[in-house]
Amino acid sequence: MGKSGFYPKLAVSNIRKNSRFYLPYLLTCVATVAMFYIMSFIASNPGLQDMQGAGTISAMMGFGTVVIGIFATIILFYTNSFLIKRRKKELGLYNILGMGKRHIAKVLFFETVYVTVISLAGGLLGGILFSKLVFMLLLRLVDFKVTLGFNISLQAIQMTLVLFCAIFLLILLFNLFQIKLSKPIELLYGGNHGEREPKTKWPLVVIGILTLGGGYFLALYIKSPIAAIGMFFIAVILVIIGTYCLFTAGSIAWLKMLRRNKKYYYQPRHFSAVSGMLYRMKQNAAGLASICILCTMVLVMVSTSVCMYIGVEDALNLIYPRNVQIYLYECQDQAYQQMSTIVKEEVAKSGLDAYDMVSFQYYQEEDDWNRSLFIGNKMAEALTGEIPGDNGQDYPPNAYLGFNLPGSDGAPSQLLDAIRTRLTTELAGQYDTYESETRSLMAGNIYSAYGGFLFLGMFLGLLFLLATVLIIYYKQISEGYDDKQRFEIMKKVGMSRAETKATVRSQILTVFFLPLIVAVIHIAFAFKIITKLLAVLSLTDISLFISCTGVTILVFAIIYCLVYMFTAKVYYRIVS
Amino acid sequence: MTLLEVKNIKKIYSTRFGGNKVQALTNVSFSVEQGEYIAIMGESGSGKTTLLNILASLDKPTSGEVVLSGKSIMTISEQQISAFRRDNLGFVFQDFNLLDNFSIEDNIYLPLVLAGKNYDDMKQRLQPIVQQLGICDILNKFPYEVSGGQKQRTAVARALITKPQLVLADEPTGALDSHASDGLLRLFDEINAAGQTILLVTHSVKAASHAQRVLFLRDGEVFHQIYKASQTQEQMYQKISDTLTVIATGGEHHG
Ligand SMILES: Nc1ncnc2c1ncn2[C@@H]1O[C@H](COP(=O)(O)OP(=O)(O)OP(=O)(O)O)[C@@H](O)[C@H]1O
Ligand SMILES: [Mg+2]
Repeated sequence: MGKSGFYPKLAVSNIRKNSRFYLPYLLTCVATVAMFYIMSFIASNPGLQDMQGAGTISAMMGFGTVVIGIFATIILFYTNSFLIKRRKKELGLYNILGMGKRHIAKVLFFETVYVTVISLAGGLLGGILFSKLVFMLLLRLVDFKVTLGFNISLQAIQMTLVLFCAIFLLILLFNLFQIKLSKPIELLYGGNHGEREPKTKWPLVVIGILTLGGGYFLALYIKSPIAAIGMFFIAVILVIIGTYCLFTAGSIAWLKMLRRNKKYYYQPRHFSAVSGMLYRMKQNAAGLASICILCTMVLVMVSTSVCMYIGVEDALNLIYPRNVQIYLYECQDQAYQQMSTIVKEEVAKSGLDAYDMVSFQYYQEEDDWNRSLFIGNKMAEALTGEIPGDNGQDYPPNAYLGFNLPGSDGAPSQLLDAIRTRLTTELAGQYDTYESETRSLMAGNIYSAYGGFLFLGMFLGLLFLLATVLIIYYKQISEGYDDKQRFEIMKKVGMSRAETKATVRSQILTVFFLPLIVAVIHIAFAFKIITKLLAVLSLTDISLFISCTGVTILVFAIIYCLVYMFTAKVYYRIVS
Repeated sequence: MTLLEVKNIKKIYSTRFGGNKVQALTNVSFSVEQGEYIAIMGESGSGKTTLLNILASLDKPTSGEVVLSGKSIMTISEQQISAFRRDNLGFVFQDFNLLDNFSIEDNIYLPLVLAGKNYDDMKQRLQPIVQQLGICDILNKFPYEVSGGQKQRTAVARALITKPQLVLADEPTGALDSHASDGLLRLFDEINAAGQTILLVTHSVKAASHAQRVLFLRDGEVFHQIYKASQTQEQMYQKISDTLTVIATGGEHHG
């Protein structure tokens, strides 16, 4: 064996030895590479351009690509930091046994090369295999038949290669930097050196309470849907800040309060749980807060996009109560009377059977941000002969006329052209603007937009779920190693197996389900503002949204529980 | 009165796949009287820790019996063994085994909390012990903030607070410097004088010379015993060193 082969071989054996940490990391790498490839494959697919509403869809997919790119970087860095922290001891040992830092760097370099090759090869292969399937799913969702532009996108492959090589290079540099900075002794004890007891940071607690309260307040007391759009982001940011502050500082303040209550604290079940959590929170609060935010994002994204997708039919009926709709803005009464006659004549001439023809006058109110929704809502009132929104304006009301035609293909353009020509010539000067729309034309756009949104929601939801699962797994595993010694001592001092198990259970349960529970609370508070936002998109079916959210939470909780059971098993195996 | 009786203990470790078998203890028998202070010595690998683990009910012997106050600890069920350990035995380890996330005070309370005692009781028991051990001032500190000697005294306090019948110590001076070791050994003398039975495993001749009786383990058996009786500590020290030399040079059994 030549000396040149030594480092690559050592690198391979390192990856093997640390498989409990490396395997999930590799899987994540492969999965993120594949997801990124698929997304950029779709975004760059020329078949997309032929679609109705292609602009929206490709903008969405472009956005999705960027989000996945950013997220992949964060996830990979995060998992890597777990890995390198765990491995500091091993690397320190090499150092002490006489391997220079340069050589350690070489070993790390080869490890990174292997990881890069495996993830890119596996990820691209998986991505290419699944991209067609996923693209077809998207087409189904947006209800559009299109021939696939191509099977493999060179552009997407190129983008994936560039991005992930850059990420892995950065990770390698980060690791080398860590090694360079540290002293061998620190490397050796890197895994666990005496953690100090966390301090209570009251200012952070106060900031957390204020921001969270502020966010909730905004979400609850927002009045108009238009304001909701702007406020939503402010509320989200406030809630994120609040979540981080309260998870980090609030949890510690709370646990210390529990500890001060001697009667509560000095009980077998609370004793080790409270002090264990105190340390656990110090190390993990930020991670738990991230999990909480991720959960909230996944839940909101998936539930709203499912709701939109299911509700799109109703929304269309609401926005377009009739198949063909004609507007004459600021139309004088006389012209309004003639409008129906002219339209009826033209329809009769075209030989089509129009039915459900209605016409009425209305005033658009100032803050009625969505004309179509307004029509849908006010139609019943208008048909009684009242003019909705009339409070003595000094200009004429708008005129609306709508009718249905058999079949769903909408009105032939000759008919619409004929109507427009007659109305614009015969009624010239008696109205301000003419406008017409057919539902089928708009429906295509809306279906593709909502379908695209659902697709994006699911896809990103999956990615976020992956991240959540991963963070939790790594947390538990690395804590398992830290807790092993603790439980051994407890056993010697007289803690039974059953008690150990119960303590382990209660700690893991808290760590696991706290973020989920807080996420559900966030969603409960966000509920009102989200329904307002959905109303902007003409979705007013609140019960549909409730059931979408409920089902999403349920499905998510089930996946979460499965991850919990698996992780708890591994954890328990490590500890005992 | 006999407190502890060890009868024909044998321990064979077998590896997971049943391949290699290590006979750690072949046949160990001895007994400990109430209030006695016993040291166990022997070369590395002679089975001292194994023996202590068996006495501590942390491990089961392959055959033989351990009787504490007339009760065979093998007959205690798995569910009750922890409670039994908690109530009857106190441990002091070489590496202290304190929990980092508890203050010194809470570390001492640990076995009592696990036993479900209430706070006022625990506090009452704590006072005299920490005074005797001289750790009153550090109760609110954490293990990483105190010295090795203080940690070991904390461990002793934790062992004593349950008022155990027997204190088991595995190389308690192993990680201490000679000054801190002397302090700890003096402490053991004191608590033994107050009636506490102590069983100490050690490599240190000095530590062993404090005991009333020294047992030597070799090849998994009690190879030799020395009684202090009316000898001075120096004489005892000399006798132990001589015995160790004999063992090291492969001398004959003359127990
Ligand atoms: N869990 C185990 N599985 C297999 N063999 C073991 C196990 N524990 C100890 N042994 C073996 O049993 C023998 C006695 O070990 P023990 O730890 O009791 O020695 P010791 O006298 O305490 O040594 P030291 O003075 O070095 O602490 C040794 O040969 C050891 O290798
Ligand atoms: Mg030993």
